[in-house]
Amino acid sequence: MRFTSRPKMNYMPGTASLIEDIDKKHLVLLRDGRTLIGFLRSIDQFANLVLQQTVERIHVGKRYGDIPRGIFIVRGENVVLLGEIDLEKESDTSLQQVCIEDILEEQRLQQQSRQEAEKTKHLALKERGLVMPRPDIMDEYGVQHQY
Amino acid sequence: MFRFQSLDEDCTLEKEEGLVEEEDEIDQFNDDTFGDGAIDDDWQEEHKRLAELEERKNEGLGGLGLGGLGMGGMGGGDASTVQLPPPASRVPHPSSLPPPHHSLSSMPPPGLEDRGGGDLAESLAMLILGADPAIASVGGPTGPGDRSTGLPPPPSMPQQHQLPPHQQLTPSGLPPGPLHPSLLSYQQHQHLLRRGGPPMQQMNSHNIWENNMGFGPVSVTPGLVTQMEDSPLMSIIKEVGLPNRPPPVMSEDGRDLSERAPPPRSSSPVIGSPPVRAVPIGTPPKQPMSHAMNHHQQIHHPTTVHVRAPVHHQHRYPPSFPERISPNTLLNMANSPLCRPPFPAGVGPVLSQIQRAQMLNSQVAGFPRGCQGPPLLPGGGGFRPFFGQPPPHRMGPHHNHVPCPIIRHNTTHLHPQHRRMLTQRMQSRGGERGGRVGDWRSRDPYSNLMTQREKEWVAKIQMMQLQSTDPYLDDYYYQNYFEKMEKRQERDRDGVRKEHTTKLITPQVAKLEHTYRPVQFAGSLGKLTVSSVNNPRKMIDTVVTSRTDDEEKREKQVWNKRRQILYTVEKMYSLLLEVQDFEKRFMQTPEEQREALLEQHKTHTLQLYASLREKEWDDRVSDEQCLLIMSVRKGKRLISRLIPFLPPLQAAAVVMGIARNLPALAKKDKQDQALCWLVEPVAVVISSLSSAALTDLLQELQGSEGQLSKVLQNKFGVTLLYLILSEGERMQSSDLNCQLMDDNRWTELVFSVTRELLNVPPSSLSPPLFTPPNLLSLFSRYVDRQRLELLQEKLQISSLSR
Repeated sequence: MRFTSRPKMNYMPGTASLIEDIDKKHLVLLRDGRTLIGFLRSIDQFANLVLQQTVERIHVGKRYGDIPRGIFIVRGENVVLLGEIDLEKESDTSLQQVCIEDILEEQRLQQQSRQEAEKTKHLALKERGLVMPRPDIMDEYGVQHQY
Repeated sequence: MFRFQSLDEDCTLEKEEGLVEEEDEIDQFNDDTFGDGAIDDDWQEEHKRLAELEERKNEGLGGLGLGGLGMGGMGGGDASTVQLPPPASRVPHPSSLPPPHHSLSSMPPPGLEDRGGGDLAESLAMLILGADPAIASVGGPTGPGDRSTGLPPPPSMPQQHQLPPHQQLTPSGLPPGPLHPSLLSYQQHQHLLRRGGPPMQQMNSHNIWENNMGFGPVSVTPGLVTQMEDSPLMSIIKEVGLPNRPPPVMSEDGRDLSERAPPPRSSSPVIGSPPVRAVPIGTPPKQPMSHAMNHHQQIHHPTTVHVRAPVHHQHRYPPSFPERISPNTLLNMANSPLCRPPFPAGVGPVLSQIQRAQMLNSQVAGFPRGCQGPPLLPGGGGFRPFFGQPPPHRMGPHHNHVPCPIIRHNTTHLHPQHRRMLTQRMQSRGGERGGRVGDWRSRDPYSNLMTQREKEWVAKIQMMQLQSTDPYLDDYYYQNYFEKMEKRQERDRDGVRKEHTTKLITPQVAKLEHTYRPVQFAGSLGKLTVSSVNNPRKMIDTVVTSRTDDEEKREKQVWNKRRQILYTVEKMYSLLLEVQDFEKRFMQTPEEQREALLEQHKTHTLQLYASLREKEWDDRVSDEQCLLIMSVRKGKRLISRLIPFLPPLQAAAVVMGIARNLPALAKKDKQDQALCWLVEPVAVVISSLSSAALTDLLQELQGSEGQLSKVLQNKFGVTLLYLILSEGERMQSSDLNCQLMDDNRWTELVFSVTRELLNVPPSSLSPPLFTPPNLLSLFSRYVDRQRLELLQEKLQISSLSR
């Protein structure tokens, strides 16, 4: 097999640029915690990304599940980091893939346990007189509702 | 019957005699019909190319497909514009769902059936039966004339072609070459391609055709069904069901395909209707849609195959395989060459991963693979749809040879620019193809979505942001880092060939002066105010006047002095006020403290005077100080208020000082005449003066040369003079023993006064505040009658006032 390499254009040596990453498979971590894996098709000056054949990968422990999503356009400011996926090494992973339903269930359980832990912690602190603001149960007037 | 519509810019509808009823439908969708922009001049090239392709196929293969091809051929030499089914049917054909599936998925929407069933059916029937002798020969019951039954709308027609049975029917009408540009319908190509179709496609064409002859509610013949079930792909179809079931079950957005379907149009066989733009102009032209196919989508039945009479749709051009096809597109292509909604992307039909993989693989493989089997996903599965497991094995048995030339879907929708880009890309891709197999990127139909230009554009923007007039200011650490690196490299590379270090060279922008110069027109008043973000309008046209140091010093000095005077005045005022309030306070304080208060009072007054008087002399007011204070309006007022409180001697001294400096004071007082405030207290003082003092005062008033004239110019001066004279007269008249006459001073002084009074021009004689009445008598003592009269006139001394 003869591989012809794509002309290597170093657009901006010494800088970080996404131009060379185009058409490659990437893993993108978003600010809301989601992990997207897709082919980076297009970028712009704000590092907005166009991902194709995107899959949202949910990780719970050592297991993960993929949800096919299609085409994503991600606003640059919401990206925490992204990295190219080495297609050859992609399969060498100790993580185990499960089906989507299972992973979602696992995620839900994880969330639940986290919330409960948080709740108990909050309660313990409250008993000791320290009330930490919890944005999720606080309304716009700064009143915290815990039902 | 049906004539292909020539795609000229000005599409003209040519009506076919027999199909007048189609007219309404055409008109209804006139806009779509005669859309702009979708028509491209390249169709002729494509057409030729495809024609060649077809020729090759013709030679290569034996029997041709079904009547569908024949349809294209149009027995009578007629051709109808046929909506070409999605090209997908060609490509994924080995592996993808078999044609029956296509037909499955391409159920005409109920609407269409309801609507135009009859007409369309008839026309379709005509098409099929009339055009294809093969069918006619096969069929029987319904001859060309059979139009009674409702034919499923044209879009379904192509499906028929793709049914395996097509192989058994020779489209006799298949032209070796393009009979007509439009003859190379997509269906034809499909069929040609499918000639070597998978074995499973060996269906009983007769069955189908028999069924369809009636063109009744077309359904899959049992035979067809069984055959369907035979093939593994059929099982897939069943497994998947009909993807276009509304709402699509696994569709990610749950959208109903039918929602996106454009309004049903006359399918076509429309006499003379222009190629139907199933895809509205401007949609990403992934594949040609038989618009009418949309209707089919809603009718899904896993086991029913609606075999439709081939319909010649407006898409005359065999769709070529676009380089970029969305998964859904592929899906569509796989599923139904015909029944695709205009907006396939992202909608609905969801194949299983397997199917997708198959399609995609086949698509991928579709490229210049020639007659190879579908490749296993190259390069580690670079093109895994949704990263699923592609089952290459499925593709294997079904793989048919892929047409070497890249099939282009109906690109008439494409913007010419887009088309050219695709062409270029394809060409470049073809050029690169030599020997390159493993590079998965070339297999990636979605690669180079971002053109080189766009990449450069982004890079340019990024470079622009790096422009800097002062690199050290912008990124100190970056600069230092690279310098260090360079030094390190130089050290390391001593003797060794210098490595080429990539260094980012950013353009150094010269610092430009961006001062705003407002536009001015000659002879106009002011300047134009044209402002922009870069040239903000000046709010104030200020001019900086910078004074020299000397001037500044002088100004400062002046100001300082004035400030000093004012300060002194203020201080004196405060003392004065205390003095003035003394009496009030005195009344209020109890007896014991009155003494103290009195003392305080005395001190104050002394202080006040002290500030005025000369350093050494006690009875003389410092001229300088006096002047200073009196130069300020407030100072004058101060003095006027102060005098009453001073002991007589000191008060007299003050008045003397005033008289002495009157010219100077008068000069300064020209504007506001504040000296007049002094009249009253001075008058009081004068009246208490002794004759000697009075004389002195008069003398002071006349002091230097020309002083009197200046005095006379000032109101206060005149008044003061009069006061003095009047007082003198009073003294003389009242007190016979007045010592005023003792020395000649008084007389002389008066003489000089009178002289001056007579000499001074009336204009410069300022009227006094008041004229004491006894002036006349005074003057009468000293001057003769003549002069007296003159004086009288001048001074307007009333003789009555005595």
